Amino acid sequence: MPGKIDKLEKFANSCGSWLNWVAGVALVGMLALIAADIIGAKLFKWPIPGGIEMVGFLGVVVVAFAIAQTQILHGHIEVEFLVTRLPETAQRAISGIVYSLGMVLFALLAWQSYDFGHILQISGEVSMTQGIPFYPVVYGIAICCIAVFLVLLVQFIRAVTKTKK
Amino acid sequence: MNPVVLGIVGIIALVALFLLRMPVGFAMAFVGFVGFSFLVSPQAGLSILARDIFHTFSSYSLTVIPMFVLMGSIASASGISRRLYDASHALLGRLRGGLAMATVAACASFAAICGSTTATAAAMGKVSLPEMKRYKYDDSLATGCVAAAGSLGILIPPSTIFIVYGIMTEQSIGKLFVAGVFPGLILASLFIITVLLICRHNPSLAPVGASTSWKKKIDVIAGIIETLVLFIFVIVGLFLGWFSPTQAGGAGAAGALIIGLARRQLDWQSFLNAIKEALRITCMVMVIVAGAMVFGHFMAVTKIPLILSDWVVNLPLPSAAIMGVIVLIYLMGGCFMDALALVTLTIPIFYPAVLALGFNPIWFGVIIVLITEMGVITPPVGVNVYVIKGIAEDVPLETIFKGIFPFLAALIIMVGILIVFPQIATFLPSLTIY
Repeated sequence: MPGKIDKLEKFANSCGSWLNWVAGVALVGMLALIAADIIGAKLFKWPIPGGIEMVGFLGVVVVAFAIAQTQILHGHIEVEFLVTRLPETAQRAISGIVYSLGMVLFALLAWQSYDFGHILQISGEVSMTQGIPFYPVVYGIAICCIAVFLVLLVQFIRAVTKTKK
Repeated sequence: MNPVVLGIVGIIALVALFLLRMPVGFAMAFVGFVGFSFLVSPQAGLSILARDIFHTFSSYSLTVIPMFVLMGSIASASGISRRLYDASHALLGRLRGGLAMATVAACASFAAICGSTTATAAAMGKVSLPEMKRYKYDDSLATGCVAAAGSLGILIPPSTIFIVYGIMTEQSIGKLFVAGVFPGLILASLFIITVLLICRHNPSLAPVGASTSWKKKIDVIAGIIETLVLFIFVIVGLFLGWFSPTQAGGAGAAGALIIGLARRQLDWQSFLNAIKEALRITCMVMVIVAGAMVFGHFMAVTKIPLILSDWVVNLPLPSAAIMGVIVLIYLMGGCFMDALALVTLTIPIFYPAVLALGFNPIWFGVIIVLITEMGVITPPVGVNVYVIKGIAEDVPLETIFKGIFPFLAALIIMVGILIVFPQIATFLPSLTIY
């Protein structure tokens, strides 16, 4: 069983890491796009057509693709002062409850994002200026939510089975 | 169930989940979704969950957050914090307590390119604490002054709290940024005066430092000119309407990158680290904003904000007294909750009441930031204190908290000044285009 958990953890962590790389590339791309848009608009009176909507799309990738890695690093803001004062067993039980609620949330989010993306795909909704379809990034959110679900699942198992790497 | 009762149950459940250490953004989205599903329908609840997340993440106005966060991360990785400290050290170091004053000045300068209290405290703490230790400064003064001055990170623009407040209240981020300039400078001066008074009261806490030659002073000041130019370029650009907030952040991040490359202080590894750091902070903030959006929709259908604002307006009390109570609630909440969590939780509830009482929303934003600054340095949560503890591992937490109290008094005085003279915060925004 511990071997399987280790494998699952390795898989979840590598998913988080890969998605984080994609988010990093999107962040650099966003910076380049904004810089190019400023130079184009201010110096040549030619802003990048659809620059705003492309920055918005990249915004989705930057945030959604970084959620799993941020959860792996326990980087999301938590209020720690109460739980850290409790005995370890109570801390583990509380962590188990909190991780399972998080898993429910991200399972629902993955399902609903897939549904929403499907609706956008069928309706053929695209951005106003460049005509970029919305649905791929919404599917992207769904994939990221599955990755967060996996990370939370590993953290849940680690919390309730007292196994720690 | 009565929507108001369900809303109150939702708020209590949310605070309970916070206390159980559920990530703040997750907890807000979860409670918001469950509450909305109860009041409207499960299908509507599921629908807003996915749509709110997508619309928040894809919002152009929110892309200001990654850009300003990236600017701060690249600035930190490029050694800008070190040069700012060296310049402040050269100018103030020979005074008694001069290194502590230099730390405050350097924090204020770093705050001008970084929008986070923890990042400012961490960047300046790493640079200033070893110096103060070398000169045998009292641990309490040294750690207290960095933790407190680090809080300037969210008052002097750019500021993540101003951005989130601006988006939640539909106020101009440019106006909020410039509103923080004068209060930030006054607060930095109050912190320096605090150091001066502490050292006058007990000279053994901080020795007199060595004087610096004029040549050295000119050299170190020359080392920060490009950083000052970058700050002025970004903020004046925003002030005069050359840039949207996102463009200003992008220009700032690109400028910090160019400075780092030109000075050959930003190598590939530190650039990658800066990107990773920016991603982590951006994700942390944006997940809370997205959660707050879902929770905000739930609050809206409970009608609690409207009912509360009607009730507050009809209270037989002067509006200043009601504002005093709101400030007190924020102060108490700030002791137990992270600044961003507190702002995103309470703004949908209190903001309509503040507007109904006739307060200026920009001024209120500055007040909120000042109070959350107190929250980041007060026990038991005081996140800046833990950041400093991570750097000065040998200094007990009690010593750091003890060192903070005089600076907390300066913060309270600043809130008082701003209540008496709101123009300090509202003058510059009245001239701003964006």
